[in-house]
Amino acid sequence: MKCVVCSREAQTQPSSKYCELHQKAYENLLKKFETWEKAFNIQWNKYLKEVAKNPLTGIWAKEVAENIVSGKE
Amino acid sequence: MEKYTLIVTEKPDAAQRIAEALDFNSQPKRIEENNVPYFHARRDKPLVIVPALGHLYTVVQEGGRRNYYPVFNFKWAPRYVAEKSATHIKTWIDVISKLADDADTFIDACDYDIEGALIGYTLLKYACGNKENIATRMKYSTLTKTELEKSFIEQMPHLDFGMIEAGRARHEVDWLYGINISRALTIAAKRFSGRYATLSTGRVQGPTLRFLVARERSIKTFVPTPYWSILAEVEIQGAKYLVDYEKKIITRKADADAVVAACLRKTGTIEKVEEKTFQIAPPTPFDLGSLESEAYYLFGYTPRRTNDIAEHLYLEALISYPRTSSQKLPPTINYKAILNGLSREPPYNESASELLRQEPLRPREGIKEDPAHPAIYPTGNRPKRKLDVAERRVWDLIARRFMAVFGEPAVKQSIKATIKVNGHHFYLQGRRTLKEGWMKHYKPYMRTEEILLPPIKQGETVQLTRIAREDKFTKPLPRYNPSSLLKRMEREGIGTKATRADIIETLYKRRYITGESIEVTDLGFTVIEVLHQYAQPVISVKLTRDLEEKMERIQNNKEKREKILEATVNRLRPVLNELKKQETTIGETLSNALKRARMQERTIGECPNCYTGKLMILFSRRTRKRFIGCTNYFTKTCKTSFPLPQQGIVKPTGRMCRSCGWPLLFVHLHGRRPWNLCFNPACPKKEERRKLLEMRGLQQRSSNTTIQ
Repeated sequence: MKCVVCSREAQTQPSSKYCELHQKAYENLLKKFETWEKAFNIQWNKYLKEVAKNPLTGIWAKEVAENIVSGKE
Repeated sequence: MEKYTLIVTEKPDAAQRIAEALDFNSQPKRIEENNVPYFHARRDKPLVIVPALGHLYTVVQEGGRRNYYPVFNFKWAPRYVAEKSATHIKTWIDVISKLADDADTFIDACDYDIEGALIGYTLLKYACGNKENIATRMKYSTLTKTELEKSFIEQMPHLDFGMIEAGRARHEVDWLYGINISRALTIAAKRFSGRYATLSTGRVQGPTLRFLVARERSIKTFVPTPYWSILAEVEIQGAKYLVDYEKKIITRKADADAVVAACLRKTGTIEKVEEKTFQIAPPTPFDLGSLESEAYYLFGYTPRRTNDIAEHLYLEALISYPRTSSQKLPPTINYKAILNGLSREPPYNESASELLRQEPLRPREGIKEDPAHPAIYPTGNRPKRKLDVAERRVWDLIARRFMAVFGEPAVKQSIKATIKVNGHHFYLQGRRTLKEGWMKHYKPYMRTEEILLPPIKQGETVQLTRIAREDKFTKPLPRYNPSSLLKRMEREGIGTKATRADIIETLYKRRYITGESIEVTDLGFTVIEVLHQYAQPVISVKLTRDLEEKMERIQNNKEKREKILEATVNRLRPVLNELKKQETTIGETLSNALKRARMQERTIGECPNCYTGKLMILFSRRTRKRFIGCTNYFTKTCKTSFPLPQQGIVKPTGRMCRSCGWPLLFVHLHGRRPWNLCFNPACPKKEERRKLLEMRGLQQRSSNTTIQ
């Protein structure tokens, strides 16, 4: 199975819809949500949109955030 | 013919310096045979000084095919056997061999380090016909007349075989790693795609690329965290000063707003004033790594460039041997003589004269030691020609650093006033120099900031003139640059001071990394992924560091070269078997990455007309001409195309035209200076230039008419 964001092979162990690199970005997004929630009292979708437009966000994290927001996953 | 002593050196410049230093009249006779220069010098016995051109011999495969692995049989052979471009080496070796026939004594005068020891050894063994056991050794750290004469008189009775064995082991182990893994990757990719592309890795190259990949991963998966800080300003005796809030980081926006609301337009009281006086010790002398870092920080020179400049300065006897890891300056280098020499140069006169009055002269030294050479220092000689800007800068940096290490500690004072505003604390910080000390000698390169405060007293009232909330986000780790990467390699103990800069260059050449702020390419990622999955030991930092330690043990005669070679083969064999077993999978992964890399190299940017396609450098099948076209041309939805120069190199720069915002191309035609091309036919800059040329044409014509 291919990663839903790029053309790399999706991670199999543990099973994921992302490749190893985008999986790591997804994990970072999950981890940081708690801090953003506390800081802004923000919802998941709004958080993803904010992260996606932040210039400091890494390109793979941005791609995952955009992918989730667009509902392509 | 009278028998002579043959002195072998590493490079032609060094041969000339040595010949001049050893000849009674300092006028040796220069002879050139088939473009190979050598020198006749007169002393109590005639001397012939002949240079090499760095390594004339290298490790090559013994028998077998080229596109095959594993290969564990090797031998030392002239470089022209392995490298097509090294045909001139044959003449060089022939001349040395001929000169060796009429010599009865031999001296190795190559640089005193592992590489120099190996160059001298291979010359004496192979080109001179097994003279390595009867040869003596000159050991020096500068190419000054005094030191060269001394090293000639006090020759070491034999070559440093520990150093030679360490050098041989390094080259042989590196060859075993490099040839086998690189061939495995290259062959896998070629067998899958049918296209050849060099994919290399090595004992040091692999772990270095691994650091870069790890950093790139953390940058590309980075998610910033929001935080807030307080920007505040107070007015004291008519002047305004920035103050720091007691908490540098506030994690909730509401908390930051509460601080602003509580302190807005309030006055504060100075609660406490703390003054501290402290000393700053002089810097330590330069070893190669710290010189490369400083030159990168101050002038933006890559480590490789600084290395080359330092090498030139050394060959002109302006500085000591630069490839050193020592931070020690022994008194034997004669501090006073060097300072006397420097005092004759106007920019250093004041500092050098002041230091010469200082008793005793004692440098501040670092902890790093190098048994072969002291730290880098100026020889005190004056340049015999006008140095170019870069050479002058590096020489000046070394000279000033040398003087600074003898300086007295600098004395600084810091003042910290605590201001209480409505229950919140702010800090006002000041800093000033009380005594310059060594900083005076190192002035142009000092990076300290002075913040002078007016006299302030406890209990005094101050007005908070400004307070605001600052919205911030955490930043990802910075990308490595050539200098910080070099430092990391040094810290991890991989590579040597002489090879690190070259390894970084190779990573660029292989297209694994790009840019000054180093970014790992897709190809670089894939290579590390493949190695991580199938050949993990090759990218292990620990293993590389262990090997470096073992080499050092060989140098100290505590370990045998053969043992390390055997261990290397045993470690490589299973890795190579695995790579062979997985050849098709690896080939597919690498071929795809290469394909993507080639596409990326040709992709210029977004199409300015359809906004959905990408502009690429394409070739017409019919005319074979090169042009820029939109990828949507193939779906017949966009016909955008632009002409390109048909000759030379054309590639995307990744930057945009400042005038019109279109992507810029790098163009390099043979024999011309490269330039950046904006291919937008309607670029305002082009119009401006056209008008300017027209104006010039008109002016020219009108002046011609006046003359007529």
